[in-house]
Amino acid sequence: MVMKKTGFIKMFLLSLFVLVVLSACSGNSKDAQTQPTDQGKKETNTTVETPKQGGGTITVTSVREPDTVDVQRTTWVDDANNHLYEPLVRFDFDGKVVPALAESFEVSPDGLVITFTLREGTTYHTGTPVTAEGIKKSFQRFMDSAPTSYMVGPLEEVVVVSDLKFELHFREAFAPFLSNATTAYLAPLDPSVIDELGDDFGTKASAAGILKLAEISRGSFVKYDTFSDFQLGQGYSQNKGAANFDSVVFRFISDDDTRILEFKRGNSQIMLSVPPNYISELENDPQVELARTLANGHTYLGMNNKKPVFQDLRVRQAIALAVDRAPIVDYALEGAAQALFGPLPPTIPGYSQKVEDQAAQMYGRNIEKARQLLAEAGYEQTNNNGIVMKDGKPLSIELWVTSEPTMQRIAQLLQNQLAEAGIEMRISVQEDATIRAQSPEGAHEMLLWTYGWYDADILHSLFGRGISTRVHYQNDALIEILEKARVEVDPNVRMKMYEDAQMIIVEESPWVPLFVRQNVVAYRDIEGFQVHPITGSIIWSDITKK
Amino acid sequence: MSRYILKRGFSMLITLLGVSILVFLMVHLIPGDPVNYILGEFATEEAVNRLKANLGLDKPLPLQYLAFIGGLLKGDLGTSYITGLSVLEQIVQRFPVTFQLALYSLIIGSICGIVLGIVAAVKQNTIFDQLAMLVSLIGISAPGFWIALFLILIFSYHLPIFPISGYDGFYSLILPSITLGLGTTGNIARMTRSSMLEVIKQDYMRTAEAKGVNVIRLIKGHGLQNALIPVITLIGLQFGHLLAGAVVTETVFALPGIGSLAIQAIATRDMPTVQGLVLFMAFMFILVNLLIDVIYSMIDPRIKYD
Repeated sequence: MVMKKTGFIKMFLLSLFVLVVLSACSGNSKDAQTQPTDQGKKETNTTVETPKQGGGTITVTSVREPDTVDVQRTTWVDDANNHLYEPLVRFDFDGKVVPALAESFEVSPDGLVITFTLREGTTYHTGTPVTAEGIKKSFQRFMDSAPTSYMVGPLEEVVVVSDLKFELHFREAFAPFLSNATTAYLAPLDPSVIDELGDDFGTKASAAGILKLAEISRGSFVKYDTFSDFQLGQGYSQNKGAANFDSVVFRFISDDDTRILEFKRGNSQIMLSVPPNYISELENDPQVELARTLANGHTYLGMNNKKPVFQDLRVRQAIALAVDRAPIVDYALEGAAQALFGPLPPTIPGYSQKVEDQAAQMYGRNIEKARQLLAEAGYEQTNNNGIVMKDGKPLSIELWVTSEPTMQRIAQLLQNQLAEAGIEMRISVQEDATIRAQSPEGAHEMLLWTYGWYDADILHSLFGRGISTRVHYQNDALIEILEKARVEVDPNVRMKMYEDAQMIIVEESPWVPLFVRQNVVAYRDIEGFQVHPITGSIIWSDITKK
Repeated sequence: MSRYILKRGFSMLITLLGVSILVFLMVHLIPGDPVNYILGEFATEEAVNRLKANLGLDKPLPLQYLAFIGGLLKGDLGTSYITGLSVLEQIVQRFPVTFQLALYSLIIGSICGIVLGIVAAVKQNTIFDQLAMLVSLIGISAPGFWIALFLILIFSYHLPIFPISGYDGFYSLILPSITLGLGTTGNIARMTRSSMLEVIKQDYMRTAEAKGVNVIRLIKGHGLQNALIPVITLIGLQFGHLLAGAVVTETVFALPGIGSLAIQAIATRDMPTVQGLVLFMAFMFILVNLLIDVIYSMIDPRIKYD
């Protein structure tokens, strides 16, 4: 195998050329990866069946790509996958549950039966009529196989009364059900697609929401078209019918800088999850507007109450007293949050101003008092490094925090604040998956974590018997109230129960609530933009492209 | 040659088997549980146990490994725990983007690197040499995300020539390829320079020069052929590194390649996808190096494998 001496360069270039040709060929098989935006090169081969309403495609840039658009196969629902679905009920702007896909609903006095009556003439995206029988099928699939099946509680049976009426029969009353039913998780799925595709429902998902699925390109985007037969606009929207544009494309860009540049360049009209460090820049841009809503949960400094050091109430309270929320909100979060002292944020029904005031009064920053409580607990200053000690051991606690830059900044501020009270905090950056897996085992000492939900029953999930996976706090009196509140049908009585439960949590200080984040959404070149103040979800009905 | 390729094919299988054991152990031993991700934090114990049984995660590790290998022998890399999609299908769908990105980066890196290396060697200890080595140093040491943002700001944001992010064919891969290719340029330039310097000192070069062969012919015909052997080895290795190194570039440019898929899969402890991806990358790495070895024998008559 002898070649001419100068032939090798040609050979090398030829090899590269062959590879280029091969790659060009392989590139042709990537229909699903073609970018759908109007950046100028080409359009996708999506068939747009929807008649034009007012025109245009709205591009939304988002951080996280949903694992699937099948809400019965995921635990992650956000704007990118929930507008396909129309739930039976929704929250209005005041947090009251009102009818949506259902025309009305009624809870029996004992709370064991909820009767829903459906609107006449409603269809799914495929044109299949919405009927009680179809909804039963959807519920059955949810109960049999959804990862979030716990959301229906002790639901025993779905009884079809007529074509448009059905009853949910519970083994025992389950008060959080209606709040849960406002989410896309419990929204009815098109039974004809369930029959056709079964577990592959997500590939051609159909439901009754304002947007219908057009195309999914894994790793790139999800495209939705307007559902032209939609007639379920809510009381808070002027337009009760189909949306005023042709389609919406959710592009997934995890890098903050790239996402912001796409938005600033005008390549996207809506940017979800604006990073705190970009808020002031966007505020000063005359072409851009920001919508802010409070999140449905809060970020807290969680103590592992199983650990001996945290079994002393005085230590827990001292930690709470050492924390100063103002610099955390002002600097780490650039003002995009609200300081919180109580266990529930204002966005969850059950929030009590009385509890919040009481907590703020008890745990406003007070370093002197924190030191005093530590001294009473036996922690004294015995050397000159500022860290208190007991039985020859310094009060040194490890904090688990994710790699999110904002959370790390908060951890550093907390580290300094606790050091002033004589507590050493060692920051340990852990992967999100590691914290999720190891904290239920009680492997951590403290963690910086966030919860979110729409119902005060979240307190049961956080402090219930045997299920307190993050703070491992068990208190019989608290658990008793939370369990009673789950089955209490009277909303007023139930809210009073949550107030009592919150008072116990405040006094016992098993964690330190820090702040409620603002969901900051930036938008441009569109009109009629609204975000739901309770759910933080985009309201598409009145949006038009300029 | 065919005997040699067969022999290498066999050792490739052994290597892949070793990789499969290692990657299987790694993804199962790192902290984090896919069930936690799939079911969320408020799942009941019953649901957790049911899902573990469904995914086969309740079985002992050796049995899980055998099931994985069994599937592999049938050409089945498994199903993603998170998306429910076939791992092989996901790789097939996303690999073209990463492959093109790596290939274009390699072309940019090879051409620029070889040219810079030759200039630096021929003009040793001059300003050209220093400039070439400076470019090479920047290529090697500047972080990929920084170069990417720099290029986006200039050529996509201020001068809207290229798209900022996303995949839309060759055009959208130009900036990512330059980003990724700069590191390769640096490595290849340095290797070409040192290899070329060694060749330039050889007697036959001096003889050719004394015989009056012109400079271009001297470098092309006498120097480059001998100097490029180690460079080609490096190019082969670089291709493997580029496939793996595409992760950062794909993330910044929001490209739907296997790098971004890997990041997502690791974060969500999607074991089948991680296993499938690592095995696939190992296979590609070995394959490219085999190809390079074959190319050696074609360009250098002194190398014979039989």
